[in-house]
Amino acid sequence: MIHCTLDQLIELRDGGSEPGLAEARAHLSQCDACSAELDRLHQRVARLRALPTLRPARNHWTAVAAQRRHEQLERRLRRGAWATLAAAASVSGVLVVGPMLQPEPPDGGLTAAAIAEAQQRSAQLEQAIDVFDPAARPIDGQTARVAQGLEDRIAELDQRIQVVELAPARNAADTERLDLWQQRVGLMDALMDVHLTSASDVGL
Amino acid sequence: MDSQPVADAVLARARSGDASALEALYRAFETPVYNLARRICRTTEDAEDVMQETFFEVCRSIHRYRGDGSLWGWVRSITASKALMRLRRNKYRDTDELFEDFAPAKKDDTALRMDLEAALERLSETSRAVVWLHDVEGYTHEEIGSMMGKTPSFSKSQLARAHARLRRWLGEEVPA
Repeated sequence: MIHCTLDQLIELRDGGSEPGLAEARAHLSQCDACSAELDRLHQRVARLRALPTLRPARNHWTAVAAQRRHEQLERRLRRGAWATLAAAASVSGVLVVGPMLQPEPPDGGLTAAAIAEAQQRSAQLEQAIDVFDPAARPIDGQTARVAQGLEDRIAELDQRIQVVELAPARNAADTERLDLWQQRVGLMDALMDVHLTSASDVGL
Repeated sequence: MDSQPVADAVLARARSGDASALEALYRAFETPVYNLARRICRTTEDAEDVMQETFFEVCRSIHRYRGDGSLWGWVRSITASKALMRLRRNKYRDTDELFEDFAPAKKDDTALRMDLEAALERLSETSRAVVWLHDVEGYTHEEIGSMMGKTPSFSKSQLARAHARLRRWLGEEVPA
């Protein structure tokens, strides 16, 4: 006589309905050894469930609250730093690069204007997202992942922008600056879209 | 489950970031979160880290909890996911199973008659996590497979192997 395997007994315990199980079920109804094995399985699981609850030895709330405050502060600083960087970029664009661009051909002027426009659009979107305050709204997991992905890419882009904006020979990199700022506008736009779509889905 | 009920008003305040309401959530769930983390993780240090990461995530994401399942169910899934993430990071530790598989059989293995707590502790981290999530917490093999980035069959075979070992170590094996 072939007895039930442990896999089969577990499947039977879980109410499995796979084709091979019918035979095992039929065997179980006639075999004392397998019935006893199934009983032992039930008892083992009951004992697992009855194991004592393990409790933390100390209070971790202080650490969690401190970590939370730290993250909030970092977020505020990041926003502040970003605003400062944007302001510095536009002021230095006028004070430093502006005069240097005077003798440049017309397309250099067009690039500078396009950069200023992208910076302005980026700041508007930043402000709109701040006002919208996505952190205070419920979103589903998928949307949260997409938004997180976009925010990560924006953060990476900000680092590259910072490097280019603070480089001494900045006017030499105007095309790159324009490209980076335009990428930022695109990502911010996408992020705003994600939040707006999510809000309309949940009827906010 | 050993958590305290959380009043709707507290939940609403927690969603708006109120620190005392968030602390109330912590108090309501600290024991079950720690228990689940400790049952999955090998050490108390890992379990404490998982607990801290879980509550940090709860504070960050509570506004995303829509109330379409139980609050404990939501907190529990965060805990399980953080604990399993830690297991993946600690994968190098998971060598006891190899030892178990390849070491020569101990003469008196069935006479060990460990207590259940010790036997559970002796399982590999992955097997123990599967046993606990499936048999105690009631997750399905599909859910466990998905949380572990594996297939449901992986979860099923881990569970069967774990029970075979528990049976032997607890002295419940019936000679053929």
